[in-house]
Amino acid sequence: MNKTLVSFLVFVVGLAVFHNAIFPIFTPKEVGWFLNRYVYFLLFVAYLIITHFILRLKPPISMMGLFVWGIGFYFYKFVLYPPIPWTLFITYMVMWSIGTFLYISQDPETFREFRKPIVKAIVGEYKLAQIVLMIAMPILVGWATYQSIYPSFQEPVELRTVHPAPPATTKVHGKTYPLESTNNPFRVDEQDNYKDSFPFLDADKHEYMKYVTEGGTIFFQNCHFCHGDQLNGLGMFSHVFNPTPANFIDPGTIAMLQEAFIFWRVSKGGPGLPNESTPWSSAMPPWEEHLKTEEIWKVILFEYWYTGWHPRTFGTEGSEG
Amino acid sequence: MLGKKTRNIGTFALGLVLAIAVYLIPGMTGIADAKEAFAEQVFAEEAFAKEVLAEEAVEGEGEPEIEWGQDVFYKDWEGNPLKGPVSGYPAPELGPEDYNNYEFAPSRIILWVANQQHLYFGSFVLAVPIFCMLIEFIGIRVREEDPVMSGKYDRLAKDLMKVSLTAYSWTAILGGILLFTFITLFPGFFKYMAGIFRPVMHVYALMFLAESGVLYVYYYGWDKMNDDPFLKWVHCSLSVLLNLIGTVLMYLANSWATFMQAPGGIDSEGRFLGNIWHVIHSTLWNPVGVHRILGNIVFGGGIVGAYAAYHYLTAKNEEERAHYDWVCYVAMFICIFGLIPLPFAGYWLMKEVYAFRQQMGITLMGGIMAWLFIIQAVMIGLLFFAANSYLHNGMARVKGSHRYMKYCKYMVLLLICCFTMWMTPHTIVMTPAELKAMGGAQHPIVGHFGVMSAKNTAVNLMITTTILCFLLYQRANKKITVPWATVGNCWIAAIFVGAAANIIFLGVYGYALPANQRVGLSVPQVTTTLTTLFAGTAINISMFKNSESYGDIQWGTQSKVGTYAIFLLAISFTWLMGLMGYIRSAVRLFWHVTEVVRDNSVDAYTLTIGEAGKMLTFNTLFVWTQFVVVFWVGSLTGKSPVKTPVAVPVPAQQQQ
Repeated sequence: MNKTLVSFLVFVVGLAVFHNAIFPIFTPKEVGWFLNRYVYFLLFVAYLIITHFILRLKPPISMMGLFVWGIGFYFYKFVLYPPIPWTLFITYMVMWSIGTFLYISQDPETFREFRKPIVKAIVGEYKLAQIVLMIAMPILVGWATYQSIYPSFQEPVELRTVHPAPPATTKVHGKTYPLESTNNPFRVDEQDNYKDSFPFLDADKHEYMKYVTEGGTIFFQNCHFCHGDQLNGLGMFSHVFNPTPANFIDPGTIAMLQEAFIFWRVSKGGPGLPNESTPWSSAMPPWEEHLKTEEIWKVILFEYWYTGWHPRTFGTEGSEG
Repeated sequence: MLGKKTRNIGTFALGLVLAIAVYLIPGMTGIADAKEAFAEQVFAEEAFAKEVLAEEAVEGEGEPEIEWGQDVFYKDWEGNPLKGPVSGYPAPELGPEDYNNYEFAPSRIILWVANQQHLYFGSFVLAVPIFCMLIEFIGIRVREEDPVMSGKYDRLAKDLMKVSLTAYSWTAILGGILLFTFITLFPGFFKYMAGIFRPVMHVYALMFLAESGVLYVYYYGWDKMNDDPFLKWVHCSLSVLLNLIGTVLMYLANSWATFMQAPGGIDSEGRFLGNIWHVIHSTLWNPVGVHRILGNIVFGGGIVGAYAAYHYLTAKNEEERAHYDWVCYVAMFICIFGLIPLPFAGYWLMKEVYAFRQQMGITLMGGIMAWLFIIQAVMIGLLFFAANSYLHNGMARVKGSHRYMKYCKYMVLLLICCFTMWMTPHTIVMTPAELKAMGGAQHPIVGHFGVMSAKNTAVNLMITTTILCFLLYQRANKKITVPWATVGNCWIAAIFVGAAANIIFLGVYGYALPANQRVGLSVPQVTTTLTTLFAGTAINISMFKNSESYGDIQWGTQSKVGTYAIFLLAISFTWLMGLMGYIRSAVRLFWHVTEVVRDNSVDAYTLTIGEAGKMLTFNTLFVWTQFVVVFWVGSLTGKSPVKTPVAVPVPAQQQQ
């Protein structure tokens, strides 16, 4: 039997068996260290390599390229979970396609071999392939055109500015705060040192924990409906907002921002966002209208305490940590 | 210790390292110099103030007449703003009468095109003398041992200089257009800048004169100074002088741009405080300078490589093909050498931007410019792909390379994985339905790639992979015979495996650290990467001693894919240069000079990504059209005669 055909069958049949029979075993409700979809994927790749090795199959480079590309597609489309947005999927597949091209073009010999069937199909040496190609290509283009112009009722996607640049100063309750130099008053000790460390770990810090607790109380009275009781942005109302409320657990939100930045965002809310971020990109109310200044600072204190993140600092002056 | 041919490439690499080191030294010593300058400044100003007050007390005029202003950037040792005597007028509040416009296009767009074209050409004419200096130096060094090779190097350097000469005039014309564009369309702003930088502008003009003089002597004296060994060294020294003047020119021009972005030496009203060095040496001056030098090298290498690649593809005989294949190799060597440290210089620049204004840093990396940075990530990935593709394909024409070619696919896999991590955005563009399906704004798996810990890890691994690829390319046709070959190979393997492990460990560890400490991890990561470069190359070259050759490199047999990779690199880099220039400039938003001179023109808005992309593409196409014309003009004078016997040069890979 033609070894190329065997190789193709190993891939296609193997994929069908793995996907339909083995994949469900590796996707139980309770995901484990071994029984998970990524281990399954590695097993599938190992199966392909080992089978080809044992049967001494050496498919042509064009087919190898197809396998490599197909494996990438399979991973991003079916294995990676939760499913990634379409824009990211396209981006990943473009990169994977470039990688596949680099793989087949790494050597002039392999590239020549890769081109050979394509050229033969185009010039008509492979008559059947040429006919299939000439019929399939217009259908493919037509289908893509149909897909792109078919009316969709989804909201259009939007490039959103996640961290809008803060103003130099912000005025809250009649007092102006320069954002570069403003610190959380509940983090400044008797010597005016800014504490960005973990003072709450010290059992004697009763006063600090008192502020944290007060901040927590305010949070659960006002904020957790959207930001969630685990501060992960998945509060009970979160799913009706676009964009969803900020996830404080994520390393890319409060972990990389100064407390003064959070103070500005909490105080001014969505309406206070600069034009670059568009005021309607956040449904958060301006909390300065509902909370006192120190209450806002206490909530911020609680958010950092709960998540374990350190507030971002720049430079070492006045900070201790 | 090294073989004859190895020494060529070794000298070449050493020369490049030294050249970059010379440029880096001012940057590295900049902080120390700045501190000394502060101390001297404080003492001098205090003494001056006492003197003035004493004089006025004697004259009995009462209140001092000299007004003192507080610097917007410089601080004294106690952290208070540095004071200086007010020596200029306040920044104007610009109105409609300060802006002119044409009907056919917004003034800002016209200025953008004029500026970008001048910068592209300026970049090229500054890069080519660096190449010529190095290539001529190598030619002199190998003159006695290998006259054929020496002649080739000399011819290449002169041919490049010939093109540069035409490009030089072109640059000056574009500079004139830029100047007139400023004066005619932005007179109010230019008047303010001219008031601050008056002496710098005059020195700049004089330096331009000096550059022209040295350039003409260097080029037109080439043949006359070619035969006598002493005169040849003098000639080579002229190229050093040419580069020094060129660097000073670039740094002076940089000071205008860096002042606009992060001003210093003025008070909050924009009044000059009497110290021109403070105005020039603002906080971004050094990082921008180093970043631009490295960028120029890559850009110049890309253009020369593309020029050679074009001639390679259209060559009519084997000799010509072999020659241009070799020129491609030299250009790509220089290009990749500049490409490796370029991201690190970029990190330094961004660090300084954050240090200047956190607001500006956030605008760039997380705010309105963030999506442009994602595009930048894609372009940088393309550059590394193109460089690696060239190396992989170039290796195929080297006899004996089959021993290493089998590793190429794994390197490609690693590059793709790193690139995926490198360009995954933190916030993904998605529909509400997709958001719901994902369960939140961040993906639980790929969402972790959106922060700097992952990005730094990815880019360092990409660079390390490229270095490894280059080392394999170097030893492709060599049979290592030194008795410590096994130990040497183990060391190289240990360095690369250890480096990868360290880079990954630091990247993962970064997630457990506060953001301000995490930023610091990039330093050991970069150090690790550079260690692989220097230690790996040193051990690799040392192992070439008495090595046997599997055969010559077959010049003129480079694959078309490898050659097209050079075009990809050159065009991508041109576009990338434009993109980063736009980002750097546009981050000022509605300011001509940040927080000092407000842009009150009708063009004071930030372009959409699509519009900016169109402009960048236009600028890229426009400059490449001009380059084609310049290269064509350069070719009209005919080729330089080759005095040495015609032969194909033998590069480093075949050295014994």
